[in-house]
This record gives sequence, C-alpha cells and structure tokens, in this order.
Amino acid sequence: MNSVASKRLFQEYKHLTTDPPEGITAGPVNEDDLFLWEAMIQGPEGTPYEGGVFPAELKFPKDYPLMPPTMKFQCDIWHPNVYANGVVCISILHPPGDDPNHYEQASERWSPIQSVEKILISVMSMIAEPNDESPANVDAARMWRERRSEFDSRVKADVRKSLGL
Amino acid sequence: MAQTETSINIPQLLAVALVGFFAIRWYLNKPPPSSGGSNSSSGSSRGRAVDPAQVAQISAMFPQLDRRSIAWDLHRNGGNVAATSERILTGRGLDNPPPSYQPPLPAQPTEQRSSVAPSAAAGQPDLITRYGLQSRISDKGKEPVRNEEQKRSAWTSDKAARAEGLKKRREDMILEARRKMMEKDAGRA
Repeated sequence: MNSVASKRLFQEYKHLTTDPPEGITAGPVNEDDLFLWEAMIQGPEGTPYEGGVFPAELKFPKDYPLMPPTMKFQCDIWHPNVYANGVVCISILHPPGDDPNHYEQASERWSPIQSVEKILISVMSMIAEPNDESPANVDAARMWRERRSEFDSRVKADVRKSLGL
Repeated sequence: MAQTETSINIPQLLAVALVGFFAIRWYLNKPPPSSGGSNSSSGSSRGRAVDPAQVAQISAMFPQLDRRSIAWDLHRNGGNVAATSERILTGRGLDNPPPSYQPPLPAQPTEQRSSVAPSAAAGQPDLITRYGLQSRISDKGKEPVRNEEQKRSAWTSDKAARAEGLKKRREDMILEARRKMMEKDAGRA
C-alpha cells in the first residue's frame, strides 16, 4: 500500500472522483487492489457509438507509472483499434521510448507524465476517430474504410444490445 | 625449444579435430535440405504435390472429412480424384496421415473461423445483466436524473462509501444511457 504505484493510483482515483472528465467514470474494482480498475466510457456524440456506455478493465503493472497499464473492453466493441478480445491498441498504452518501427513519436507513447485520465480521454477520441494505419481488428478496419454505412449500423446495433434494448 | 612447440601443438590439434568433427557433422546433416533446396517450396522433390483444387473438390463432396486425410490419400494415389472418391464411397474410409504430413492447404478452415469469431465474441452479456440492474429498469424512465452536484461530489474518507459512490456512478451512467436511448426511440415513434 505504501509503494509509489499505489500512492499514485490512489491519487489518480481521488482526482477522477472529484473532477471526472465528461463521460468517464473510473476507479479500482476493489480498493484493496489498486492495480485493477474498471472504467466506463461514454460513446462520443456524433459517432455511431453515441449513446453507448463501454466498460473496460485497466490492469496496472507493479512499476506503474514507469510502465503503462493494459486496457481491455469488457463488452463487444466493433472498432478498428480494438482486438476481437477487447484489448485496446493505442499509442499512449505502449511502453515508453521510441517505436522500433519509427511509426509513433516517443511523445505519443506512455510516459510517467501521462495519467489514467489522459488514457481514457485518448481512448474516447480514438473511438471517435479510428486510426486505420495499424488496425487491431482488420475486419472492422476494412468495413470502416469500405462499407461505412454497414459499419455504422453494426456499431449502433451493438450499442442498443448492450443497453438491453 | 622443441618442448614448447609440442605443448602448443596439442591444443591446436585438439582444436582442429573439434572443428573437423563439427564440419563433418554439419556436412552430413546438410545435404537433404540443400539438394532439394532449389524446388523444395513446391514440395515436388518428395513425390508429387497435391493440387489444392483437387482437395477442395473432394472436400466439397464430403465436407465431414478432414482435408489433411484427403490430401494424404491423393498424395499416395498420385492425385487420382476418382480413386479417392471411390474409396470414400465404398466405405473403406481414409487413412490418417502421419503427423509430419502437412500439405499446404488453402485457408478455408481459417476463413470460416475468422467469420465465426466476431459472432462468438458477441456472446457478452448486456450491461444490465452484467451489473445486475434488472430491478432498476422496471419503472421505465422514472430514474431520477442526477444533477451536476451528485456527479462530481463525493470524496469521503470512508472506503466503503467511496466504493458505493463509484458503483452508483457507474450504474447511473448505464441507466441514464438506456433512458436517453428509450427517449430517443419514443421521440422517433
């Protein structure tokens, strides 16, 4: 409980509770284990995800904030940058340093000056604007690129289903 | 003088023997792949390659059969589709291929799997079930709309109260999303 990671996570939890960004709720599943969080992200307005709520699990490493957490959606989300199993692929969740493929700027990747809040906001904007340069879900990326109306209606159907409607 | 020379030569001899041993071993292991290297990718150096189209043809007739077994039978009878079909039809069945036999079959099974995967992943329960909110959606639309105060208040020093607050905010988020969606539907109807 006294480790740097726990202190920092507790601090972030407090901040996210008292001043949460619009459309985001996040906190530890159980305060006895600050390394496992659950976050809820609202689907951004003006996108097919609008109206949806997407739960995700965040797992923090023991050396947080030196290394980033991993994030996995706990619901069906059809998106080019989310693997079929729900794992999110976004540069802010990639370990610090330069990309060996020179694909991403070091500044886009994880560093201790980032935060859970920044991750969740980045994921929210990723939901709104998929990056189809390095898709995690190739089928979704292809549909997004080539058959946008089919993509949109599939996402909307998933959103309704997730709300039990 | 002579003594120093021999003491140098023994390790050298040993080294030469060792290098020679490995060189011979390497040479003896090398030939099979290198002799077939020029055309090993087609597989034609070892018997004949099975035409994937023939495998697909038989597989279309008998989809219950393992494609590897079909390929193995074709491989052994020299690509005779009629003979393989005859063999299956007469009920003799196909032999199981040895595990080392891995024909380069087209990716039909994987294709099926990838088209099945998204729908299999679609087995996630909805949020109402996941968070046990069934009891709270019965009085439809009657959920009190939370105000800004409630949304951003609540950092207490009590751990249980914090957990409770977080749970409530999560549930409210889902219920509010559902309520809005239903309102939208009602507005459209």
